Amino acid sequence: MYVALCENSCNEHSRASQFCLGRQEAGCEDLDQLPNLGREQEMLESMGLQSMDDLFSDIPEEVRRTDPLPLRGPQSEEEIWADAQHLLGANVDLDSRPSFLAAGLARNFVPTMVPMLATRGEFLTSYTPYQPEVSQGMLQAMWEFQTMVSELVGLPVSNVSMYDASTAAAEAITCAVRVKGRKATQKGVVYVSQFVPPHRLSVIENYSQGGSIELRTLEHGEDGRINLEAAAAAAGACAVYVEQPNAFGNLDEGVMKLKEIIGENTALIVGVDAVSLGIVEAPGNYGADIVVGEGQPFGIGPTAGGPIYGLFACQKDYLRLMPGRIVGKTIDEDGKDAFTLTLSTREQHIRRHRATSNICSNETLIALMGAMHMSLLGPEGLERLALRVAAATETTKQAVCAIPGVELVNPDTPNFREFTVKLPRDAGEAIAHMDEEGVLGGLDLGEWWDSMSKCLLIGCDERTSQSDIDALTSALSSWIEEMSP
Amino acid sequence: MEEAADTVPPSLRRSSLPGWPRASEPELVRHYTWLSQRNFGIDTGFYPLGSCTMKHNPRINERIVQLPGIDRIHPLQPEHQIQGLLAIFYEMQEMLEICAGMDQVTLQPVAGAQGEFTAIRCIQEYHRSNGENHRDKVIVPDSAHGTNPASAAMCGYDIIEIPSAEDGRIDLDALRAAVGEDTAAMMITNPSTLGIFEPEIAEAAEIVHTAGGQMYYDGANFNAILGKTDPGRMGFDAVHYNLHKTFSQPHGGGGPGSGPIGVKSHLAEFLPSPLVDRQEVEDGGATGDGYRYFWKTPENTIGKVQQWHGNAGAVVRAWAFYRRYGRELELMSEHAVLNANYLRHQIMNPDSETLAGIEVMPVDGAPTDVVKHEFTLSMQPLKESTGVTGKDVAKRLLDYGYMSPTLYFPMIVPECLMIEPTETESREVLDKFADDFLAILAEDPELVSTAPHSTDVRRVDEVWAARNLILRHPGSE
Repeated sequence: MYVALCENSCNEHSRASQFCLGRQEAGCEDLDQLPNLGREQEMLESMGLQSMDDLFSDIPEEVRRTDPLPLRGPQSEEEIWADAQHLLGANVDLDSRPSFLAAGLARNFVPTMVPMLATRGEFLTSYTPYQPEVSQGMLQAMWEFQTMVSELVGLPVSNVSMYDASTAAAEAITCAVRVKGRKATQKGVVYVSQFVPPHRLSVIENYSQGGSIELRTLEHGEDGRINLEAAAAAAGACAVYVEQPNAFGNLDEGVMKLKEIIGENTALIVGVDAVSLGIVEAPGNYGADIVVGEGQPFGIGPTAGGPIYGLFACQKDYLRLMPGRIVGKTIDEDGKDAFTLTLSTREQHIRRHRATSNICSNETLIALMGAMHMSLLGPEGLERLALRVAAATETTKQAVCAIPGVELVNPDTPNFREFTVKLPRDAGEAIAHMDEEGVLGGLDLGEWWDSMSKCLLIGCDERTSQSDIDALTSALSSWIEEMSP
Repeated sequence: MEEAADTVPPSLRRSSLPGWPRASEPELVRHYTWLSQRNFGIDTGFYPLGSCTMKHNPRINERIVQLPGIDRIHPLQPEHQIQGLLAIFYEMQEMLEICAGMDQVTLQPVAGAQGEFTAIRCIQEYHRSNGENHRDKVIVPDSAHGTNPASAAMCGYDIIEIPSAEDGRIDLDALRAAVGEDTAAMMITNPSTLGIFEPEIAEAAEIVHTAGGQMYYDGANFNAILGKTDPGRMGFDAVHYNLHKTFSQPHGGGGPGSGPIGVKSHLAEFLPSPLVDRQEVEDGGATGDGYRYFWKTPENTIGKVQQWHGNAGAVVRAWAFYRRYGRELELMSEHAVLNANYLRHQIMNPDSETLAGIEVMPVDGAPTDVVKHEFTLSMQPLKESTGVTGKDVAKRLLDYGYMSPTLYFPMIVPECLMIEPTETESREVLDKFADDFLAILAEDPELVSTAPHSTDVRRVDEVWAARNLILRHPGSE
């Protein structure tokens, strides 16, 4: 075997070189991705063909490309690595400075074991486990993932991931409309919290184009909490979507009372910070029908926003109309325990335009990373992680709010991971100033809502250190002092 | 900082901790290693799964995405902090535009199905902006991927499914009968799921355009034609790319994917926000290429389909893959098509009576009887003569150390096996697979119909799973 491989690779190099002599451009001798490079002719001839062109003779001339692609030349792996280091090295990464930008993602620490094991080729290079007999590994891992998500949010059913928190929220809404549509007295109506980030609302709006869905706003009061009196208007609608914590990082006890107010015939959908559930009540325990959220804090870095993964869990009565893949335990022909994808008749490859969703590719590999991370934490580790984030949030909040001229938004509600402050002038200016001092100070909420241009959203995590906080307060103070006369 | 820990009041606190077992690192490493060994990937063996383009995933890609300049980046960081990332995005937008003959690409959709959905949303807004709200039908051929009708339905469209002609190609008469005042779009892949190039594609586009509809190209089979033709030339208005098929983003057991879309200029104003643009600068720019890169919002954007900028990590992997080939991407498609035809030839031209067990969709009109990147085999004659089904053959292939081909799709081919070898398999592997495949057809039907015999578990009872619905560990419930 070894000898055969060795001969093969030696020959390959000479084959490749020979073939490349015939090509117009130099450089493709580094092409090491094509095992049959250099022996095209023998393969063609064995089929009775003369040239590669014969293989494309079915493409009519009027649509055929005759000129080469106007692109750069091929590169070797070595050159690609150098360019990747150069280009990605030009980015400022979150770990290189005090960073307080969260806004739905976490500057987490991922245990080394996670990427090393998840990128084992057997996991990394497998397709959706449609052949369970040779896919028990990923199927079992996803079944374990479903178990952990179910435990985390307090609901019996979980799928094996959505694309992200926003698409999970959007598809939770369309799912709830399918389930509750008939009994709802407000046909197609869904109430969405006023304090959902606008990019998420935009995803929800796009996904609500089919199925005659009408989105209405669930109002919050002056103190930032949900207006429970106004929420009574949502009784009889198909669903209510709220987030805990909300876009400003506030935790609201009102969310826990919503189910009683809206009643059995209206679905309560709660979007969560997954880490917060180490200390904050699981929504399944206060009547949530569907829980969604961003899984990213477990398993993968912020990765410029993707790939990340959405959590989707629900009560059993949503099971047959929910989106996404589900793994079930079963038996094989010999009665032995086995796992398989189940309830596929909901899905697009079977049900086509009557499917519950168009989702096909999901984020399985990232969910696998999440499962590994959650397993390593265990419930107590999760609680400790959540406490660390809560502590960092509180310490940072107190330090920032001690700066004269800085005002805490929604001061009477507790925060998790994030809090919002109002500044004397535009938050965008503050961020630019802090940037010059080497601090990533948070998010200018004016980018989300015009009326909040003076508001800064500050995000913390388990890695926020006292020196980070000192750098933040120093940079923010110097900006405020600079503009005082 | 610990003293500040208890900031969440008791009324909001969790009453009991979630109940999954904590395990130590050595235990977990062994557990997940064991699980991985019970999973079949491209790295394990030949994976001829039709329409999925299971090509080799270069390892440099995985190394690159571990760099802090992508792994530790927040999508909302100021532009000047992420110039390298934006440069890669720009290069990828431009490359994909060139490869598909489109005017503007967005990298935001994170899967092929989401790309379809995004493009149909753009087409929907285009019609609305022209005051043509009455266009409420989307046409798909019956051989289309299931995501096509599902994506259009999610936008609120009614679906008209048109039958294929007997040779599996588009039936232009059926298309003429289907189009009208109410046509919003047609969604089609070319080559089709049968691996057959539609020679009348330009005429199909003409029919749809004349009726006022838009043409949507499902790029799942793009691996077959890159550099040889492009959807722009064929008359398409919008296209999605599967970076996890054509551009080697690993499939990861079902995802993540990445499904950028490209559109002609008349649809560009509706694309999701933001896109990447650039401007020449005097100082060379942060990456030294003479440009400053920035986000821009299309004028009448549909907004967001993913909450950030798409699966940036997948885009970076695809960038590394593209750089490997550069303008020689054409070579990739040539080898994909070479391998498909070679394997088909090895299976269909044996000096063996087993040929009677297989039927292939006829390919006429082409001077050399060629397919593109994949081909379909019908096991119907085998079923009639021995009772062995396509599924049985697929399961028996697992015993031989292969992944099964795509089974029972497209639905228009009875007892269908759809085979796509990709460009990254050697001739030796293809020869061996053909031999083994033909050997299976000659095996004792009882042996084949009870396969697999040597896998981790025997044939799995899917009905039992659906009846009992054990969807999590019972734990201490």
